[in-house]
Amino acid sequence: MFRHNALRYAVLALLAAGALFQALTAEYFGLEILTEILILAMLVLALDIVAGFGGMVSLCHGALMGVGAYTYAILSTKAGIAPPVAMAGSIALTGVAAWVIGAICSRSHGIYFIMATLAFGQMAYSYVFEAPIFGGDDGLGGISRLDLSFIGVDLNDSRSFALFCLALLAAIYVASVLILRSGLGRSLSGVMHNEQRMRALGLTVWRVKADVFGLSGMIAGLAGALAAQHILYISPGLLSWTVSGEALVVVILGGLGTLVGPLVGAAAFVVLKHELSAVTTYWHLVVGVILIAVVMSRANGVFGWFESRWGDRIERRMADATRKQQSEEVLTDA
Amino acid sequence: MLETRNLDKSFGAVHVTRNVSLKLERGERRVILGPNGAGKTTLFNQLVGELTPDSGSVHLAGEDVTALPVAKRARRGLSRSYQKNTLFDGLTVEENLGLAAAVHTGHATQLWSDSLAKPEVREIVDEVANQVNLMPYIHAKVSEISYGVRRQLEVGVALATRPLVLLMDEPTSGVGPEMSKGFHDLLNNLPRDLTMLIIEHDMDLAFDVADTITVLNYGEVVFDGLPEAARGSKLLKEIYLGSWEDA
Repeated sequence: MFRHNALRYAVLALLAAGALFQALTAEYFGLEILTEILILAMLVLALDIVAGFGGMVSLCHGALMGVGAYTYAILSTKAGIAPPVAMAGSIALTGVAAWVIGAICSRSHGIYFIMATLAFGQMAYSYVFEAPIFGGDDGLGGISRLDLSFIGVDLNDSRSFALFCLALLAAIYVASVLILRSGLGRSLSGVMHNEQRMRALGLTVWRVKADVFGLSGMIAGLAGALAAQHILYISPGLLSWTVSGEALVVVILGGLGTLVGPLVGAAAFVVLKHELSAVTTYWHLVVGVILIAVVMSRANGVFGWFESRWGDRIERRMADATRKQQSEEVLTDA
Repeated sequence: MLETRNLDKSFGAVHVTRNVSLKLERGERRVILGPNGAGKTTLFNQLVGELTPDSGSVHLAGEDVTALPVAKRARRGLSRSYQKNTLFDGLTVEENLGLAAAVHTGHATQLWSDSLAKPEVREIVDEVANQVNLMPYIHAKVSEISYGVRRQLEVGVALATRPLVLLMDEPTSGVGPEMSKGFHDLLNNLPRDLTMLIIEHDMDLAFDVADTITVLNYGEVVFDGLPEAARGSKLLKEIYLGSWEDA
């Protein structure tokens, strides 16, 4: 069951303030990096819901993001459908695809689940790579962004697009919290803790897994539709398993099953990538060393480590402060 | 309420359930006795659908449920507790009971509302917490409560599905004499119309709670009758009760 604590609220507020400040003050390159972080953050939130709260470690979320991107591109450029409808369609289609994958894979666990999702992801990648309608390895261009001119917003402006992505990420975060706190989210938590017992209580376990996987897929699909609008060009590489692998690295690096951790991970990963790649082409090695250090430390990612070290202490101090304030109020009243 | 007809199960050459036929009336409390390896837990696993019998059938409230999976049998009113605690360790006592109650009330898959906040769920959680004496621990995590209280919760989670038939696999397994005595009261205070099938090694508890007793030996029913008759059974003394009565 997902719970916020003081530390999580504080980190969320810091991240939101930092992103907003960057969106309002950064120049073009800074805005591009920010948008990249925000879209990756959506993808890793989607992955954290299934992996961190349902024990379903997926290696097809990159492909789901790709499905969202290609669906948006095809519908808006080739089918001539209005971008808002194309975007809704891409979210819905990705959700359905994810639900089917979740339903099929839900009976497998651990390494078998990972392999099954990897197979689905690679099937999608191969199909997109080969099928002419998707432009093969040349990809698809000519993608347009949503038109929000009716409310005076020009999404072709990098700043507006970054702010738009930030608003959507905030909405996705709130939706994720609501999902995890709903009956479905509680059941998912029960399934992760003890699948056999949930089944013995009468829960149709595969259905819960499939439903949450579908919802997670919808978020990945939205991230994909935004990725297509961000770069204005898409290629099959978006569906490659390495994208899923990178998302998993980010979730583990940030803190699995914390929602806040993956946001920290996304920011750290993209900044590290850009900073390190300016210095060396072997930047993956550095990220690899950091990941190994995080895993070997047995901490739940960078945020998880920080939370286990400081979270309880902050909670205790806040509780002490509240008690002290209450007793002072009682004394004053007396 | 619950009936098995000629239930049979083998694992390779080992015959673990031999032609077991039982019939429990509504509200009946039956205790299953038998030495280790007699096939008691294997019988339970077949009743709830965790194991498929080689032959024979299981009937719940007149319906043949032999082909139904675990979850469907549970939804029809067959609930069990386990010999080893099978709880949701990272969650609180309240959340453990809430998960079971949410499944029963149909709130377990709702997306836009918190199942634990639903009045129907809360009502069951509070009622069961009172029934199994868990109110003092209601907000404690499972990892924070003692083993004995976890055994109470194990039964509580099974009860929170509001079952027609409750199967309890050694509810007092591993608890001390004091807590075991508490279980007598707990089981005796459960609603009289609840049908219960209990595997138990604690003879005092068994004879205190049971309306009827079934004894299994090598997977076979060797005694089926009233507790008084069980006490006087020579066969029973030979295979099981001898050491208890001598003690």
